[in-house]
Amino acid sequence: MAVELKTIEHLCELSKLNYDEDGLKKVMGEMGDIINLMDEIKEFDLVYDDTKDGNEIRFGDTREDVPAESFPTEKLLANAENTDGCYVVPKVVE
Amino acid sequence: MDLTKAKIRDLRKALDNKEISAPELCAEYLKRIDEQDGKLLSYITVTKEKALSDAENAQKIIDAGKSSALTGIPLAVKDNICVDGVRTTCASKMLENFIPPYNATVIEKLNAQGYVLLGRASMDEFAMGGSTQTSAFAKTRNPYDLERVPGGSSGGSAAAVAASLAPASLGSDTGGSIRQPSSFCGVTGIKPTYGRVSRYGLVAFASSLDQIGPICNDARDCAIMLNAICGADAHDATSARVETPDFTEKLGQPIKGLKIALPKEFFSDAVDSSVKACVLDAAHELEKQGAVLVECSMPGLKYAIPAYYLIACAEAASNLSRFDGIKYGFRGEGRTYEELIRDSRSRGFGEEVKRRILLGNYALSSGYYDAYYKKALALKQEIIRQYNQIFEQADVILTPTAPTPAYKIGEQDNDPVKMYTADICTVTVNIAKLPGISTTCGYTADKGLPVGMSIIGKRFDEQTILQVADAWESGFVPLAPKL
Amino acid sequence: MSAYFPTMGLEIHAELLTKSKVFCTCSAEFGGTPNSRCCPVCSGLPGTLPVLNQRAVEYIIKAGYVMNCDISRFTKWDRKNYFYPDLPKAYQISQMPRPVCLSGTVNIKVNGEDKVIRINRIHLEEDAGKLVHDDVNRISLADYNRCGIPLIEIVTEPDFHSADEVIAFVEKIKLLLQYAGICDCKMEQGSIRCDVNISIAPKGSTELGTRTELKNLNSLKAIAKAIEVEIDRQEELLENGERVIQQTRRFNEALGETTAMRSKEDAHDYRYFPDPDIPPIIFTEEELEAIRNSIPELPEQRVARYVDEYGLKPADADIIVGDKRICDFFDAAISEYNNPKAVANFILGELMNRINRGEADMDALKFGGAEFAQLVEFMQTDKISQANGKTILREMLENGGNPKDIADKGDLWIKEDNDLLAKVVDEIIANNPKPVEQYKNGDQKVFEFFMGQANKALKGAASPKAIQEYIRKKLGE
Repeated sequence: MAVELKTIEHLCELSKLNYDEDGLKKVMGEMGDIINLMDEIKEFDLVYDDTKDGNEIRFGDTREDVPAESFPTEKLLANAENTDGCYVVPKVVE
Repeated sequence: MDLTKAKIRDLRKALDNKEISAPELCAEYLKRIDEQDGKLLSYITVTKEKALSDAENAQKIIDAGKSSALTGIPLAVKDNICVDGVRTTCASKMLENFIPPYNATVIEKLNAQGYVLLGRASMDEFAMGGSTQTSAFAKTRNPYDLERVPGGSSGGSAAAVAASLAPASLGSDTGGSIRQPSSFCGVTGIKPTYGRVSRYGLVAFASSLDQIGPICNDARDCAIMLNAICGADAHDATSARVETPDFTEKLGQPIKGLKIALPKEFFSDAVDSSVKACVLDAAHELEKQGAVLVECSMPGLKYAIPAYYLIACAEAASNLSRFDGIKYGFRGEGRTYEELIRDSRSRGFGEEVKRRILLGNYALSSGYYDAYYKKALALKQEIIRQYNQIFEQADVILTPTAPTPAYKIGEQDNDPVKMYTADICTVTVNIAKLPGISTTCGYTADKGLPVGMSIIGKRFDEQTILQVADAWESGFVPLAPKL
Repeated sequence: MSAYFPTMGLEIHAELLTKSKVFCTCSAEFGGTPNSRCCPVCSGLPGTLPVLNQRAVEYIIKAGYVMNCDISRFTKWDRKNYFYPDLPKAYQISQMPRPVCLSGTVNIKVNGEDKVIRINRIHLEEDAGKLVHDDVNRISLADYNRCGIPLIEIVTEPDFHSADEVIAFVEKIKLLLQYAGICDCKMEQGSIRCDVNISIAPKGSTELGTRTELKNLNSLKAIAKAIEVEIDRQEELLENGERVIQQTRRFNEALGETTAMRSKEDAHDYRYFPDPDIPPIIFTEEELEAIRNSIPELPEQRVARYVDEYGLKPADADIIVGDKRICDFFDAAISEYNNPKAVANFILGELMNRINRGEADMDALKFGGAEFAQLVEFMQTDKISQANGKTILREMLENGGNPKDIADKGDLWIKEDNDLLAKVVDEIIANNPKPVEQYKNGDQKVFEFFMGQANKALKGAASPKAIQEYIRKKLGE
């Protein structure tokens, strides 16, 4: 079973992914199968309690507010297109 | 020196006794890689120059009589663990030219011991897969049968060790990515308890499940590796503030009276009968050593695959959003920001990665969150509860590591559902944050393919699963692959 | 009179005065050359992880207490997912279902009337970076220095019905945060920012209208103006039979109008989910009590102290407390010279006068409360005249220094020169027979004339008391 076109288009928008026509058709089918598999979980009827994960830490175990030296700018930018110490981004259209 | 199936501890002795120097040892491994890896494709990058200079440094430490367990030991590191100045690709076109400017915490720890980096092991793209066939650069093959997959996602790490192209390696495990390739390649790999090893510098797939661990020739070497890489880390708030024990401590201790649980759902029809037979035989061997087998049940396993994929992909969708072509990685084309990032992501990511991003965003999106993501978290709590119940009556749990031995390359292509369900034996261990080790329990009668079994322990009880794996290995003769 | 009444709610973002960023150890200071206060964590490199800053949590708890909120004993962090080039991870670490603070109240005074504003929640999150747009090359330059500066977001209930109420509230919040020591509240630097949700409904209606959200309000003036024009705009729409569209609008201060931001902004699905990298936090009662006890004296407590203990007029106390820099200066001064009324008068009458004229800046004062207190004491004990006191203050504002040295150098001390006093006053009386006549006929007002003349001529050579006595004596003869 394929998912609806508008669902997959919405997911592509959220994911910032493009597909050509054939690609979209293919992924619609695959996503349909995957979602069918995921749907098995719907019959499971327990409720999640976020306070019961048992992974909390104590306030005192958080990091002390002590600043340290930052990183060399050029090292941070080494993998990026950059100018004047900044990352270069094409114009953001609003 | 014969490096076939060479153990870390043997190499340690040879280095400390000056039977071989660190640069010589390194050169021998590099030579083996040079000769063999063309057909195996276990490495994406062989860091030859760095390896030799690492080895020179190591030799100085050895000469000064200050060597640690891993000084001068050459290792392969999965290509999703950041090494300062060394290309780290995650087997993705997205990071083809990415050179991290910092070290992962595990790398800092290995550096402190003077290890030698042989190279970067191949993997499924962004650790998403179980075959290493989604790698953009090196679709690794199984050393026991070059027509077959090595498993994944740490397929390069497992294959390299199996073929003795490294004595040991680092992998990462989100849903079985250390254990399943270890099983397919006939080596021993351990996924530590979540929080045991710092994740800082591991390029995240699913942050609540990811864990770095070693792949070695046996449990004893795994213990040595764990001793080097475990410990709380100020850079990782999820790293556990618990004491790091000496993981070799319980090795060799008898397993008499130890209770081993066999949850019946792990031995269902979904698992190949050849695999089941191998694992059950091993269980009875352990029984002969004095262990007590306990029957038990894990009904939650039925929902484990959707629970795992919903949690993992939701986190992955968010974790992989940072790859937009602006700061690092593949930069596509586009006149606007929107066009550029869409093009970068669409061309930079492979198909499986994209499917998982779509699934993750589906699970999190408005209107679906409660039905999918939140339900998966509820299931996570239930699976933890069921494991706790089993551990009330058992010390460890024994399961197959994978439903099948290594399958043929191409067999699962274009069938994501088949690919996902194959993870059934391993994913709950990550969901429940438990430690699990896979060791070889036999070889298939017809094709001689390795079959792995997993021993699962209580949280932070790696010592006992290492003890059990070691007890099994002490009476087992592994067969080296013929390359 | 309008047929509609407005209803507003606020979202206030305030940057916390921590030393390091909220999830990494980079400096949290304002500014810096681009990307110089960054590391692999705050610039979003693959593999990096956030580690929560304890002081940021402490500060938001303080904020919660000063706004009378409930503090959650269990709090956790969520990811808000969206793509924007100022957000390197493509998600902002924020809080959704379990913020640190819930349901508080803040008292404000508007046109003499007391009013209570309800706080819905306060949560902790990270700030984003900055983009500089280069229109010529059609690119933007991203600087991540601000990424990871800790922010609290204060969300109010829709309890505001006029711009005056909004302004009074924002001013009150600024004071509370400043006095609690958790934010410097410099609107011009963006360390406190305010979004206004605004709707109008026909008078008497119990239902709220469709709201718009106003962004980019960089000053109190802008807030007031934006509210005014947005109410007008919505009224005009309704009057013309059109409807208000729920959207985010940007205020353009230069044009004095609000304009819609792209509509996609509203279609965002942020896919909030718990951040797996940051464990939830639990607090003990002892920890919370210790934080509560470490909150410094708040504005209302200071006003009470000034009025009840020092006898200042409530209006004067309000003015001093209304600027924390002045208030701290006042406290420093009276700890040197325990005459709060005299110190307050000289601050209100002279120092603030200079500040308001732009001759002085509290952020760059060249002397401290101690020097100021000394000057007031000299004036109060007739060692320096009022006029010379003002001269000395001007000198201190310009060049710093202490009043004693300045008085020595400028020969500004009262010398109690009785001979000169007699000579000067005798001369004035001799030269002004008419006012003398008036005084003798019972016109007390001309006495001030003689005081003025004498003060002018004596230039501080005698104390006001001595001059007064001598004039009275001479006129009485």
